[in-house]
Amino acid sequence: MSKIEEVKVLVETGKSKKVAAAVQEALDAGDKAQDILDAMIASMGVVGDKFSSGEIFVPEMLIAAKAMSKGVEVLKPVMAGDGSSSLGTCIMGTIAGDLHDIGKNLVVMMLESAGFDMVDLGVDVPAERFVEAAKENNNVVLVACSGLLTTTMPALKEAVQTVKAALPDMKVIVGGAPVTQEYADEIGADGYAPDAGSSASKAKVIIGA
Amino acid sequence: MLTKRQNLLETIKGGEPDRFVNQYEFLELIREAPKEPFMTQKGSEIKNGWGITIRWPEGQIGSFPVHDDNHKVLKDITEWRKYVRAPAVNYPAERWTEAIAHANAVDRDEKYVTAFVTPGIFELTHYLMGMEDALMSYYEEPEAMHELIDYLTEYELQYAKQIIENLHPDALFHHDDWGSQISSFMSPETFEEFILPAYKKIYGFYKENGVEIIVHHSDSYGANLVPYMIDMGIDIWQGVMNTNNIPELIKEYGGKISFMGGIHSGEVDFPEWTPEIVMEHVEKACNECGKSYFIPNLSQGGPISSFPGVYEAASEAIDMMSKKLFK
Ligand code: B12
Repeated sequence: MSKIEEVKVLVETGKSKKVAAAVQEALDAGDKAQDILDAMIASMGVVGDKFSSGEIFVPEMLIAAKAMSKGVEVLKPVMAGDGSSSLGTCIMGTIAGDLHDIGKNLVVMMLESAGFDMVDLGVDVPAERFVEAAKENNNVVLVACSGLLTTTMPALKEAVQTVKAALPDMKVIVGGAPVTQEYADEIGADGYAPDAGSSASKAKVIIGA
Repeated sequence: MLTKRQNLLETIKGGEPDRFVNQYEFLELIREAPKEPFMTQKGSEIKNGWGITIRWPEGQIGSFPVHDDNHKVLKDITEWRKYVRAPAVNYPAERWTEAIAHANAVDRDEKYVTAFVTPGIFELTHYLMGMEDALMSYYEEPEAMHELIDYLTEYELQYAKQIIENLHPDALFHHDDWGSQISSFMSPETFEEFILPAYKKIYGFYKENGVEIIVHHSDSYGANLVPYMIDMGIDIWQGVMNTNNIPELIKEYGGKISFMGGIHSGEVDFPEWTPEIVMEHVEKACNECGKSYFIPNLSQGGPISSFPGVYEAASEAIDMMSKKLFK
Protein backbone atom coordinates (compact mmCIF):
# COMPACT_ATOMS: atom_id res chain seq x y z
CA MET A 1 0.00 0.00 0.00
CA SER A 2 1.32 3.45 -0.87
CA LYS A 3 1.77 5.94 1.94
CA ILE A 4 -1.13 8.00 0.66
CA GLU A 5 -3.39 4.95 0.62
CA GLU A 6 -2.38 4.30 4.20
CA VAL A 7 -3.36 7.84 5.21
CA LYS A 8 -6.73 7.35 3.55
CA VAL A 9 -7.44 4.16 5.44
CA LEU A 10 -6.34 5.70 8.74
CA VAL A 11 -8.70 8.65 8.26
CA GLU A 12 -11.61 6.49 7.18
CA THR A 13 -11.19 4.25 10.21
CA GLY A 14 -10.55 7.16 12.57
CA LYS A 15 -7.09 6.18 13.78
CA SER A 16 -6.23 9.64 15.05
CA LYS A 17 -3.12 8.54 16.95
CA LYS A 18 -1.48 7.14 13.81
CA VAL A 19 -2.43 9.63 11.11
CA ALA A 20 0.13 12.34 11.86
CA ALA A 21 3.04 9.93 11.52
CA ALA A 22 1.62 8.46 8.32
CA VAL A 23 1.18 11.92 6.78
CA GLN A 24 4.76 12.79 7.69
CA GLU A 25 5.97 9.54 6.11
CA ALA A 26 4.01 10.30 2.96
CA LEU A 27 5.63 13.74 2.77
CA ASP A 28 9.06 12.20 3.37
CA ALA A 29 8.38 9.69 0.62
CA GLY A 30 7.86 12.61 -1.75
CA ASP A 31 4.08 12.84 -1.94
CA LYS A 32 2.81 16.37 -2.48
CA ALA A 33 0.99 18.00 0.42
CA GLN A 34 -1.91 18.88 -1.86
CA ASP A 35 -2.30 15.26 -2.95
CA ILE A 36 -2.29 14.05 0.62
CA LEU A 37 -4.91 16.63 1.53
CA ASP A 38 -7.06 15.65 -1.45
CA ALA A 39 -6.80 12.02 -0.39
CA MET A 40 -8.01 12.87 3.11
CA ILE A 41 -10.85 14.98 1.68
CA ALA A 42 -11.86 12.01 -0.43
CA SER A 43 -11.79 9.77 2.65
CA MET A 44 -14.11 12.11 4.51
CA GLY A 45 -16.39 12.04 1.47
CA VAL A 46 -16.56 8.27 1.82
CA VAL A 47 -17.21 8.60 5.54
CA GLY A 48 -20.00 11.11 4.85
CA ASP A 49 -21.66 8.82 2.33
CA LYS A 50 -21.50 5.88 4.70
CA PHE A 51 -23.08 8.03 7.42
CA SER A 52 -25.86 9.16 5.07
CA SER A 53 -26.61 5.58 4.12
CA GLY A 54 -26.69 4.44 7.74
CA GLU A 55 -23.65 2.22 7.43
CA ILE A 56 -21.73 4.12 10.11
CA PHE A 57 -22.80 6.28 13.05
CA VAL A 58 -21.98 9.58 14.74
CA PRO A 59 -18.95 8.29 16.73
CA GLU A 60 -17.24 6.87 13.63
CA MET A 61 -17.75 10.17 11.94
CA LEU A 62 -16.33 12.09 14.89
CA ILE A 63 -13.22 9.96 15.11
CA ALA A 64 -12.66 10.16 11.35
CA ALA A 65 -12.88 13.96 11.51
CA LYS A 66 -10.53 14.00 14.46
CA ALA A 67 -8.08 11.82 12.54
CA MET A 68 -8.23 14.12 9.56
CA SER A 69 -7.56 17.18 11.67
CA LYS A 70 -4.43 15.50 13.08
CA GLY A 71 -3.27 14.93 9.54
CA VAL A 72 -4.06 18.49 8.50
CA GLU A 73 -1.96 19.81 11.41
CA VAL A 74 1.09 18.18 9.84
CA LEU A 75 0.28 19.60 6.41
CA LYS A 76 -0.50 23.15 7.55
CA PRO A 77 3.08 24.44 7.92
CA VAL A 78 3.99 22.85 4.59
CA MET A 79 1.02 24.41 2.82
CA ALA A 80 0.99 27.78 4.61
CA GLY A 81 0.07 30.65 2.34
CA ASP A 82 -1.11 28.31 -0.34
CA GLY A 83 -4.84 28.90 -0.32
CA SER A 84 -5.40 27.07 -3.57
CA SER A 85 -7.53 24.30 -2.16
CA SER A 86 -10.01 26.46 -0.27
CA LEU A 87 -13.60 26.60 -1.50
CA GLY A 88 -14.03 29.85 0.39
CA THR A 89 -15.21 30.71 3.88
CA CYS A 90 -18.41 29.41 5.42
CA ILE A 91 -20.02 30.99 8.47
CA MET A 92 -21.96 28.49 10.55
CA GLY A 93 -23.98 28.56 13.75
CA THR A 94 -27.00 27.26 15.62
CA ILE A 95 -29.76 29.86 15.49
CA ALA A 96 -31.01 32.08 18.32
CA GLY A 97 -32.98 30.32 21.04
CA ASP A 98 -31.36 26.95 20.42
CA LEU A 99 -28.37 25.38 22.17
CA HIS A 100 -28.17 22.01 20.39
CA ASP A 101 -24.82 21.67 18.69
CA ILE A 102 -23.99 18.06 17.85
CA GLY A 103 -25.51 18.19 14.37
CA LYS A 104 -23.97 21.60 13.73
CA ASN A 105 -20.53 20.39 14.81
CA LEU A 106 -20.74 17.41 12.48
CA VAL A 107 -21.68 19.63 9.58
CA VAL A 108 -18.78 21.99 10.43
CA MET A 109 -16.42 19.02 10.31
CA MET A 110 -17.76 17.77 7.01
CA LEU A 111 -17.65 21.18 5.33
CA GLU A 112 -14.17 21.78 6.68
CA SER A 113 -12.94 18.46 5.38
CA ALA A 114 -14.53 19.22 2.02
CA GLY A 115 -12.35 22.32 1.76
CA PHE A 116 -14.30 25.20 3.27
CA ASP A 117 -12.63 27.53 5.77
CA MET A 118 -15.09 27.34 8.62
CA VAL A 119 -16.01 30.10 11.05
CA ASP A 120 -18.07 28.49 13.81
CA LEU A 121 -20.18 31.05 15.67
CA GLY A 122 -21.36 28.46 18.21
CA VAL A 123 -24.92 28.24 19.48
CA ASP A 124 -27.75 30.71 20.14
CA VAL A 125 -26.57 32.97 17.32
CA PRO A 126 -28.74 36.05 16.64
CA ALA A 127 -29.63 36.73 12.99
CA GLU A 128 -27.50 39.88 12.77
CA ARG A 129 -24.43 38.02 14.04
CA PHE A 130 -24.44 35.90 10.86
CA VAL A 131 -24.40 39.10 8.80
CA GLU A 132 -21.62 40.69 10.87
CA ALA A 133 -19.49 37.58 10.60
CA ALA A 134 -20.09 37.38 6.86
CA LYS A 135 -18.84 40.98 6.55
CA GLU A 136 -15.92 40.63 8.99
CA ASN A 137 -14.36 37.58 7.38
CA ASN A 138 -12.63 37.25 4.04
CA ASN A 139 -14.03 35.47 1.04
CA VAL A 140 -17.28 34.35 2.69
CA VAL A 141 -19.27 32.34 0.15
CA LEU A 142 -21.79 30.54 2.34
CA VAL A 143 -23.79 30.95 5.55
CA ALA A 144 -25.01 27.74 7.22
CA CYS A 145 -27.70 27.73 9.89
CA SER A 146 -28.70 24.83 12.09
CA GLY A 147 -31.93 24.58 14.11
CA LEU A 148 -33.21 21.61 16.13
CA LEU A 149 -36.29 23.03 17.81
CA THR A 150 -39.73 23.59 16.36
CA THR A 151 -40.00 26.55 18.73
CA THR A 152 -37.15 28.31 16.95
CA MET A 153 -38.25 27.71 13.37
CA PRO A 154 -39.19 31.42 13.19
CA ALA A 155 -35.62 32.29 14.24
CA LEU A 156 -34.31 30.19 11.37
CA LYS A 157 -36.51 32.11 8.98
CA GLU A 158 -35.34 35.37 10.48
CA ALA A 159 -31.68 34.36 10.14
CA VAL A 160 -32.08 33.48 6.46
CA GLN A 161 -34.05 36.61 5.67
CA THR A 162 -31.72 38.91 7.59
CA VAL A 163 -28.72 37.56 5.72
CA LYS A 164 -30.52 37.80 2.39
CA ALA A 165 -31.65 41.37 3.08
CA ALA A 166 -28.17 42.55 4.02
CA LEU A 167 -26.22 40.49 1.50
CA PRO A 168 -28.50 39.62 -1.41
CA ASP A 169 -25.88 37.52 -3.22
CA MET A 170 -24.86 35.47 -0.20
CA LYS A 171 -25.76 31.77 -0.37
CA VAL A 172 -27.49 30.24 2.64
CA ILE A 173 -27.85 26.57 3.53
CA VAL A 174 -30.07 25.33 6.37
CA GLY A 175 -30.63 22.08 8.21
CA GLY A 176 -31.59 20.37 11.47
CA ALA A 177 -34.12 17.71 12.43
CA PRO A 178 -37.38 19.67 11.94
CA VAL A 179 -36.20 21.37 8.72
CA THR A 180 -37.38 20.03 5.37
CA GLN A 181 -36.66 20.93 1.77
CA GLU A 182 -40.11 22.55 1.55
CA TYR A 183 -39.46 24.66 4.61
CA ALA A 184 -36.05 25.69 3.28
CA ASP A 185 -37.68 26.79 0.02
CA GLU A 186 -40.43 28.62 1.87
CA ILE A 187 -38.02 30.74 3.93
CA GLY A 188 -35.83 31.55 0.96
CA ALA A 189 -32.75 29.44 1.70
CA ASP A 190 -30.63 28.30 -1.24
CA GLY A 191 -30.34 24.77 -0.03
CA TYR A 192 -30.96 22.11 2.56
CA ALA A 193 -29.39 18.76 3.40
CA PRO A 194 -30.88 16.11 5.66
CA ASP A 195 -27.58 15.03 7.23
CA ALA A 196 -23.93 15.91 7.61
CA GLY A 197 -22.84 13.39 5.02
CA SER A 198 -24.76 15.08 2.25
CA SER A 199 -24.17 18.63 3.52
CA ALA A 200 -20.76 18.94 1.84
CA SER A 201 -21.88 17.98 -1.65
CA LYS A 202 -24.95 20.16 -1.33
CA ALA A 203 -22.86 23.13 -0.16
CA LYS A 204 -20.56 22.73 -3.17
CA VAL A 205 -23.52 22.68 -5.54
CA ILE A 206 -24.96 25.82 -3.99
CA ILE A 207 -21.77 27.84 -4.37
CA GLY A 208 -21.24 26.45 -7.85
CA ALA A 209 -17.91 24.78 -7.05
CA MET B 1 -65.66 -0.31 29.55
CA LEU B 2 -62.21 -1.56 30.50
CA THR B 3 -60.18 0.38 33.04
CA LYS B 4 -57.18 2.28 31.67
CA ARG B 5 -54.97 -0.43 33.05
CA GLN B 6 -56.98 -3.30 31.55
CA ASN B 7 -57.18 -1.52 28.22
CA LEU B 8 -53.42 -1.06 28.21
CA LEU B 9 -52.85 -4.74 28.90
CA GLU B 10 -55.25 -5.79 26.14
CA THR B 11 -53.39 -3.49 23.76
CA ILE B 12 -49.88 -4.67 24.54
CA LYS B 13 -50.86 -8.35 24.80
CA GLY B 14 -52.70 -8.40 21.49
CA GLY B 15 -56.10 -8.94 23.16
CA GLU B 16 -59.32 -7.00 22.79
CA PRO B 17 -58.90 -3.35 23.79
CA ASP B 18 -62.14 -1.34 23.63
CA ARG B 19 -60.42 1.91 22.56
CA PHE B 20 -56.96 3.32 21.86
CA VAL B 21 -54.79 3.81 24.90
CA ASN B 22 -54.75 7.60 24.95
CA GLN B 23 -51.14 8.83 25.29
CA TYR B 24 -49.89 8.77 28.89
CA GLU B 25 -53.32 8.14 30.47
CA PHE B 26 -52.34 4.79 32.06
CA LEU B 27 -49.24 6.16 33.82
CA GLU B 28 -49.48 8.17 37.02
CA LEU B 29 -46.01 9.69 37.17
CA ILE B 30 -44.74 10.21 40.69
CA ARG B 31 -42.60 13.24 40.00
CA GLU B 32 -42.22 14.25 43.65
CA ALA B 33 -39.67 11.51 44.39
CA PRO B 34 -36.32 12.98 45.47
CA LYS B 35 -33.66 12.94 42.77
CA GLU B 36 -30.66 14.81 41.48
CA PRO B 37 -31.78 17.85 39.49
CA PHE B 38 -30.94 17.93 35.77
CA MET B 39 -33.09 20.95 35.06
CA THR B 40 -33.19 24.38 36.57
CA GLN B 41 -35.44 27.44 36.64
CA LYS B 42 -35.41 29.92 33.79
CA GLY B 43 -32.54 32.38 34.08
CA SER B 44 -30.71 30.34 36.71
CA GLU B 45 -27.77 27.97 37.04
CA ILE B 46 -27.24 25.03 39.40
CA LYS B 47 -24.59 22.43 40.09
CA ASN B 48 -26.06 19.02 40.91
CA GLY B 49 -24.72 16.19 43.05
CA TRP B 50 -22.59 14.87 40.19
CA GLY B 51 -20.97 18.29 39.82
CA ILE B 52 -22.77 18.84 36.51
CA THR B 53 -23.59 22.50 35.86
CA ILE B 54 -27.05 23.06 34.41
CA ARG B 55 -27.98 26.45 33.04
CA TRP B 56 -31.20 27.88 31.60
CA PRO B 57 -30.28 31.14 29.88
CA GLU B 58 -32.96 33.76 29.22
CA GLY B 59 -34.47 33.46 25.78
CA GLN B 60 -34.10 29.66 25.69
CA ILE B 61 -36.88 27.07 26.00
CA GLY B 62 -35.12 24.84 28.50
CA SER B 63 -32.00 23.98 30.46
CA PHE B 64 -28.73 22.71 29.09
CA PRO B 65 -25.61 21.15 30.62
CA VAL B 66 -22.54 23.41 30.46
CA HIS B 67 -19.51 21.71 28.92
CA ASP B 68 -16.83 24.34 28.51
CA ASP B 69 -13.41 23.46 29.95
CA ASN B 70 -14.21 25.03 33.30
CA HIS B 71 -17.48 23.18 33.79
CA LYS B 72 -17.04 19.75 32.24
CA VAL B 73 -17.01 17.20 35.08
CA LEU B 74 -15.15 14.41 33.34
CA LYS B 75 -12.09 15.84 31.64
CA ASP B 76 -10.25 12.62 30.84
CA ILE B 77 -12.10 9.33 30.53
CA THR B 78 -9.01 7.29 31.34
CA GLU B 79 -8.95 8.99 34.74
CA TRP B 80 -12.68 8.85 35.37
CA ARG B 81 -12.18 7.72 38.97
CA LYS B 82 -10.48 11.01 39.74
CA TYR B 83 -13.39 13.08 38.39
CA VAL B 84 -16.62 11.15 38.89
CA ARG B 85 -18.18 10.73 42.30
CA ALA B 86 -21.77 9.51 42.50
CA PRO B 87 -24.08 11.46 44.78
CA ALA B 88 -25.68 9.75 47.79
CA VAL B 89 -29.06 8.10 47.21
CA ASN B 90 -30.23 7.68 50.79
CA TYR B 91 -32.44 10.75 50.89
CA PRO B 92 -33.95 11.51 54.31
CA ALA B 93 -37.43 10.09 54.91
CA GLU B 94 -39.14 13.49 54.81
CA ARG B 95 -38.02 13.99 51.22
CA TRP B 96 -40.15 10.98 50.31
CA THR B 97 -43.31 12.02 52.15
CA GLU B 98 -44.97 13.85 49.29
CA ALA B 99 -44.15 11.14 46.75
CA ILE B 100 -45.46 8.40 49.03
CA ALA B 101 -48.69 10.31 49.61
CA HIS B 102 -49.11 10.70 45.87
CA ALA B 103 -48.50 6.99 45.25
CA ASN B 104 -50.96 6.03 48.00
CA ALA B 105 -53.67 8.22 46.52
CA VAL B 106 -53.60 6.41 43.17
CA ASP B 107 -56.28 3.88 42.31
CA ARG B 108 -54.02 1.07 41.20
CA ASP B 109 -56.86 -0.77 39.48
CA GLU B 110 -57.19 2.16 37.13
CA LYS B 111 -53.62 3.41 36.67
CA TYR B 112 -50.02 2.38 37.17
CA VAL B 113 -48.09 4.05 39.96
CA THR B 114 -45.06 5.02 37.93
CA ALA B 115 -41.53 5.83 38.99
CA PHE B 116 -39.92 8.39 36.69
CA VAL B 117 -36.18 8.12 36.13
CA THR B 118 -34.14 10.48 34.00
CA PRO B 119 -31.48 10.82 32.71
CA GLY B 120 -30.48 7.33 31.62
CA ILE B 121 -27.05 5.72 31.56
CA PHE B 122 -26.08 6.91 28.09
CA GLU B 123 -27.35 10.41 28.81
CA LEU B 124 -25.41 10.50 32.05
CA THR B 125 -22.19 9.75 30.17
CA HIS B 126 -22.75 12.77 27.93
CA TYR B 127 -23.93 15.02 30.75
CA LEU B 128 -20.64 14.25 32.48
CA MET B 129 -18.27 14.80 29.55
CA GLY B 130 -20.17 16.33 26.64
CA MET B 131 -21.67 14.40 23.75
CA GLU B 132 -18.62 14.34 21.51
CA ASP B 133 -16.17 13.11 24.14
CA ALA B 134 -18.71 10.55 25.25
CA LEU B 135 -19.40 9.16 21.80
CA MET B 136 -15.73 9.02 20.86
CA SER B 137 -14.81 7.35 24.16
CA TYR B 138 -16.96 4.33 23.34
CA TYR B 139 -14.58 3.73 20.45
CA GLU B 140 -11.29 5.08 21.68
CA GLU B 141 -11.28 4.07 25.34
CA PRO B 142 -13.67 1.12 25.60
CA GLU B 143 -12.20 -0.28 28.81
CA ALA B 144 -12.52 2.93 30.76
CA MET B 145 -15.98 3.40 29.34
CA HIS B 146 -17.03 -0.05 30.53
CA GLU B 147 -15.78 0.74 34.01
CA LEU B 148 -17.57 4.08 34.07
CA ILE B 149 -20.83 2.52 32.91
CA ASP B 150 -20.58 -0.19 35.56
CA TYR B 151 -20.15 2.55 38.15
CA LEU B 152 -23.16 4.52 36.86
CA THR B 153 -25.23 1.33 36.73
CA GLU B 154 -24.39 0.55 40.34
CA TYR B 155 -25.58 4.06 41.26
CA GLU B 156 -28.85 3.52 39.39
CA LEU B 157 -29.42 0.22 41.17
CA GLN B 158 -28.90 1.86 44.56
CA TYR B 159 -31.39 4.56 43.61
CA ALA B 160 -33.81 1.93 42.30
CA LYS B 161 -33.76 0.25 45.70
CA GLN B 162 -34.88 3.49 47.33
CA ILE B 163 -37.64 3.97 44.82
CA ILE B 164 -38.95 0.45 45.28
CA GLU B 165 -38.88 0.59 49.07
CA ASN B 166 -40.68 3.91 49.20
CA LEU B 167 -43.16 3.81 46.33
CA HIS B 168 -43.68 0.16 45.40
CA PRO B 169 -44.25 1.30 41.83
CA ASP B 170 -45.98 -0.98 39.35
CA ALA B 171 -44.52 0.74 36.32
CA LEU B 172 -41.29 2.51 35.46
CA PHE B 173 -40.94 5.38 32.99
CA HIS B 174 -37.28 5.70 32.15
CA HIS B 175 -35.62 8.15 29.78
CA ASP B 176 -32.48 7.59 27.72
CA ASP B 177 -32.36 9.13 24.26
CA TRP B 178 -30.48 6.82 21.96
CA GLY B 179 -30.62 8.60 18.66
CA SER B 180 -31.31 11.44 16.33
CA GLN B 181 -34.39 11.59 14.18
CA ILE B 182 -32.82 9.49 11.44
CA SER B 183 -30.22 7.28 13.11
CA SER B 184 -29.17 5.76 16.39
CA PHE B 185 -26.23 7.53 18.04
CA MET B 186 -24.26 4.30 18.22
CA SER B 187 -23.98 1.31 16.00
CA PRO B 188 -26.06 -1.67 17.16
CA GLU B 189 -22.82 -3.50 18.01
CA THR B 190 -21.57 -0.71 20.28
CA PHE B 191 -25.00 -0.49 21.86
CA GLU B 192 -25.04 -4.22 22.51
CA GLU B 193 -21.61 -4.10 24.07
CA PHE B 194 -22.09 -1.13 26.41
CA ILE B 195 -25.72 -0.20 26.92
CA LEU B 196 -27.55 -3.53 26.82
CA PRO B 197 -25.76 -5.12 29.82
CA ALA B 198 -26.36 -2.04 31.97
CA TYR B 199 -30.09 -2.03 31.28
CA LYS B 200 -30.44 -5.79 31.68
CA LYS B 201 -29.32 -5.25 35.24
CA ILE B 202 -31.42 -2.13 35.87
CA TYR B 203 -34.68 -3.22 34.27
CA GLY B 204 -34.19 -6.77 35.55
CA PHE B 205 -33.94 -5.40 39.07
CA TYR B 206 -37.15 -3.38 38.78
CA LYS B 207 -39.00 -6.38 37.37
CA GLU B 208 -37.78 -8.63 40.18
CA ASN B 209 -39.22 -6.10 42.59
CA GLY B 210 -42.82 -5.73 41.55
CA VAL B 211 -42.59 -3.49 38.51
CA GLU B 212 -44.85 -4.94 35.84
CA ILE B 213 -44.41 -2.53 32.96
CA ILE B 214 -41.23 -0.84 31.74
CA VAL B 215 -41.81 2.16 29.48
CA HIS B 216 -38.63 3.48 27.92
CA HIS B 217 -38.42 6.92 26.33
CA SER B 218 -36.19 7.54 23.32
CA ASP B 219 -37.70 9.98 20.87
CA SER B 220 -35.61 9.06 17.95
CA TYR B 221 -34.94 6.61 15.24
CA GLY B 222 -34.16 3.27 16.86
CA ALA B 223 -35.56 0.46 14.73
CA ASN B 224 -32.08 -1.09 14.66
CA LEU B 225 -32.06 -1.32 18.47
CA VAL B 226 -35.45 -2.97 19.01
CA PRO B 227 -34.08 -6.51 19.52
CA TYR B 228 -31.93 -5.16 22.39
CA MET B 229 -34.85 -3.23 23.81
CA ILE B 230 -36.76 -6.50 24.00
CA ASP B 231 -33.79 -8.30 25.49
CA MET B 232 -33.39 -5.73 28.27
CA GLY B 233 -37.04 -6.02 29.25
CA ILE B 234 -38.70 -2.95 27.76
CA ASP B 235 -42.46 -3.47 27.36
CA ILE B 236 -43.24 -0.18 25.64
CA TRP B 237 -40.90 2.01 23.61
CA GLN B 238 -42.25 5.54 24.05
CA GLY B 239 -41.13 8.27 21.67
CA VAL B 240 -40.91 6.08 18.59
CA MET B 241 -40.78 8.60 15.75
CA ASN B 242 -42.43 8.01 12.40
CA THR B 243 -38.97 8.02 10.82
CA ASN B 244 -39.07 4.40 11.99
CA ASN B 245 -41.39 2.24 9.94
CA ILE B 246 -43.76 1.63 12.86
CA PRO B 247 -46.31 -0.63 11.08
CA GLU B 248 -43.44 -2.88 10.05
CA LEU B 249 -41.97 -2.87 13.56
CA ILE B 250 -45.38 -3.87 14.92
CA LYS B 251 -45.60 -6.71 12.45
CA GLU B 252 -42.15 -7.96 13.30
CA TYR B 253 -42.01 -7.43 17.06
CA GLY B 254 -45.62 -7.01 18.25
CA GLY B 255 -46.25 -9.23 21.26
CA LYS B 256 -42.69 -8.80 22.48
CA ILE B 257 -42.76 -5.02 22.71
CA SER B 258 -45.26 -2.24 22.01
CA PHE B 259 -44.77 1.14 20.36
CA MET B 260 -45.94 4.43 21.84
CA GLY B 261 -45.60 7.53 19.71
CA GLY B 262 -45.96 7.83 15.95
CA ILE B 263 -47.08 11.45 16.08
CA HIS B 264 -44.04 13.50 15.38
CA SER B 265 -43.55 16.67 17.46
CA GLY B 266 -41.91 18.38 14.50
CA GLU B 267 -45.08 17.93 12.41
CA VAL B 268 -47.73 18.94 14.93
CA ASP B 269 -46.03 20.85 17.74
CA PHE B 270 -44.87 24.08 16.11
CA PRO B 271 -45.88 27.75 16.22
CA GLU B 272 -48.55 27.60 13.48
CA TRP B 273 -50.19 24.36 14.71
CA THR B 274 -53.95 23.88 14.40
CA PRO B 275 -56.29 21.17 15.73
CA GLU B 276 -56.88 20.12 12.11
CA ILE B 277 -53.18 19.46 11.53
CA VAL B 278 -53.06 17.45 14.75
CA MET B 279 -56.14 15.47 13.73
CA GLU B 280 -54.64 14.67 10.35
CA HIS B 281 -51.48 13.20 11.88
CA VAL B 282 -53.31 11.34 14.63
CA GLU B 283 -55.65 9.82 12.08
CA LYS B 284 -52.78 8.75 9.87
CA ALA B 285 -50.90 7.17 12.78
CA CYS B 286 -53.97 5.31 14.09
CA ASN B 287 -54.95 4.04 10.65
CA GLU B 288 -51.46 2.91 9.76
CA CYS B 289 -50.45 1.34 13.04
CA GLY B 290 -53.71 -0.26 14.15
CA LYS B 291 -55.16 -1.38 17.45
CA SER B 292 -52.60 -3.83 18.77
CA TYR B 293 -49.16 -3.11 20.20
CA PHE B 294 -49.57 0.60 19.41
CA ILE B 295 -50.30 3.62 21.60
CA PRO B 296 -50.81 6.87 19.72
CA ASN B 297 -48.78 9.63 21.40
CA LEU B 298 -46.67 12.71 20.68
CA SER B 299 -43.01 11.76 20.70
CA GLN B 300 -42.20 14.11 23.62
CA GLY B 301 -40.95 12.45 26.83
CA GLY B 302 -43.87 13.43 29.06
CA PRO B 303 -47.54 14.42 28.94
CA ILE B 304 -46.73 17.86 27.54
CA SER B 305 -46.14 19.75 24.32
CA SER B 306 -43.89 22.66 23.43
CA PHE B 307 -46.91 24.75 22.34
CA PRO B 308 -49.87 24.98 24.75
CA GLY B 309 -52.88 22.98 23.60
CA VAL B 310 -51.15 20.55 21.26
CA TYR B 311 -51.07 17.68 23.76
CA GLU B 312 -54.76 18.11 24.60
CA ALA B 313 -55.69 18.43 20.93
CA ALA B 314 -53.91 15.13 20.28
CA SER B 315 -55.83 13.46 23.14
CA GLU B 316 -59.13 14.68 21.69
CA ALA B 317 -58.18 13.48 18.23
CA ILE B 318 -57.28 10.06 19.63
CA ASP B 319 -60.68 9.81 21.34
CA MET B 320 -62.29 10.60 18.03
CA MET B 321 -60.29 7.88 16.33
CA SER B 322 -61.35 5.41 19.05
CA LYS B 323 -65.00 6.20 18.31
CA LYS B 324 -64.35 5.70 14.64
CA LEU B 325 -62.30 2.51 14.72
CA PHE B 326 -63.63 0.62 17.78
CA LYS B 327 -67.17 -0.68 17.94
C1 B12 C 1 -29.20 15.07 22.27
C2 B12 C 1 -30.38 16.00 22.52
C3 B12 C 1 -30.23 16.97 23.52
C4 B12 C 1 -28.92 17.19 24.26
C5 B12 C 1 -28.09 18.14 23.41
C6 B12 C 1 -26.58 18.02 23.55
C7 B12 C 1 -25.90 18.96 22.58
N1 B12 C 1 -24.72 19.35 22.93
O1 B12 C 1 -26.40 19.34 21.55
C8 B12 C 1 -29.48 17.83 25.58
C9 B12 C 1 -29.82 16.71 26.54
C10 B12 C 1 -28.54 18.79 26.28
C11 B12 C 1 -30.76 18.48 25.08
C12 B12 C 1 -31.37 19.57 25.68
C13 B12 C 1 -32.61 20.05 25.31
N2 B12 C 1 -33.45 19.49 24.39
CO1 B12 C 1 -32.92 18.14 23.12
N3 B12 C 1 -32.65 16.65 22.01
C14 B12 C 1 -31.61 15.88 21.80
C15 B12 C 1 -32.00 14.77 20.78
C16 B12 C 1 -32.25 13.49 21.55
C17 B12 C 1 -30.99 14.49 19.69
C18 B12 C 1 -30.46 15.71 18.95
C19 B12 C 1 -29.11 15.38 18.35
O2 B12 C 1 -28.08 15.72 18.90
N4 B12 C 1 -29.08 14.63 17.27
C20 B12 C 1 -27.84 14.13 16.65
C21 B12 C 1 -27.43 14.96 15.47
C22 B12 C 1 -26.25 14.30 14.77
O3 B12 C 1 -28.50 15.02 14.57
P1 B12 C 1 -29.17 16.43 14.17
O4 B12 C 1 -28.98 17.40 15.23
O5 B12 C 1 -30.53 16.14 13.64
O6 B12 C 1 -28.24 16.93 12.95
C23 B12 C 1 -28.13 16.25 11.74
C24 B12 C 1 -29.06 16.79 10.65
O7 B12 C 1 -30.25 17.37 11.17
C25 B12 C 1 -28.21 17.71 9.85
N5 B12 C 1 -28.08 19.12 10.23
C26 B12 C 1 -28.13 19.70 11.44
N6 B12 C 1 -27.89 21.01 11.34
C27 B12 C 1 -27.65 21.28 10.05
C28 B12 C 1 -27.35 22.47 9.39
C29 B12 C 1 -27.13 22.46 8.02
C30 B12 C 1 -26.78 23.73 7.33
C31 B12 C 1 -27.26 21.25 7.30
C32 B12 C 1 -27.06 21.24 5.84
C33 B12 C 1 -27.58 20.06 7.94
C34 B12 C 1 -27.78 20.08 9.32
O8 B12 C 1 -26.94 17.13 9.92
C35 B12 C 1 -26.73 16.57 11.23
C36 B12 C 1 -25.82 15.39 11.15
O9 B12 C 1 -26.28 14.39 10.29
C37 B12 C 1 -33.32 15.38 20.15
C38 B12 C 1 -34.34 14.35 19.68
C39 B12 C 1 -34.16 13.97 18.23
N7 B12 C 1 -34.58 12.79 17.97
O10 B12 C 1 -33.65 14.73 17.43
C40 B12 C 1 -33.85 16.24 21.31
C41 B12 C 1 -34.74 17.45 21.01
C42 B12 C 1 -34.21 18.21 19.82
N8 B12 C 1 -34.59 18.26 22.23
C43 B12 C 1 -35.69 18.83 22.62
C44 B12 C 1 -35.83 19.66 23.77
C45 B12 C 1 -37.23 20.13 24.10
C46 B12 C 1 -34.71 19.99 24.57
C47 B12 C 1 -34.72 20.89 25.83
C48 B12 C 1 -35.60 22.11 25.77
C49 B12 C 1 -35.07 19.99 27.02
C50 B12 C 1 -35.37 20.73 28.31
N9 B12 C 1 -36.63 20.79 28.64
O11 B12 C 1 -34.48 21.18 28.97
C51 B12 C 1 -33.23 21.26 25.92
C52 B12 C 1 -32.92 22.43 24.96
C53 B12 C 1 -32.46 23.71 25.51
C54 B12 C 1 -32.24 24.70 24.38
N10 B12 C 1 -32.57 25.93 24.62
O12 B12 C 1 -31.80 24.41 23.29
C55 B12 C 1 -36.84 18.49 21.69
C56 B12 C 1 -37.29 19.61 20.80
C57 B12 C 1 -38.80 19.68 20.72
C58 B12 C 1 -39.22 20.72 19.78
N11 B12 C 1 -40.25 21.45 20.14
O13 B12 C 1 -38.66 20.89 18.72
C59 B12 C 1 -36.31 17.22 20.96
C60 B12 C 1 -36.83 17.01 19.54
C61 B12 C 1 -36.71 16.04 21.88
C62 B12 C 1 -38.21 16.00 22.17
N12 B12 C 1 -39.06 15.54 21.30
O14 B12 C 1 -38.59 16.37 23.24
N13 B12 C 1 -31.21 17.83 23.97
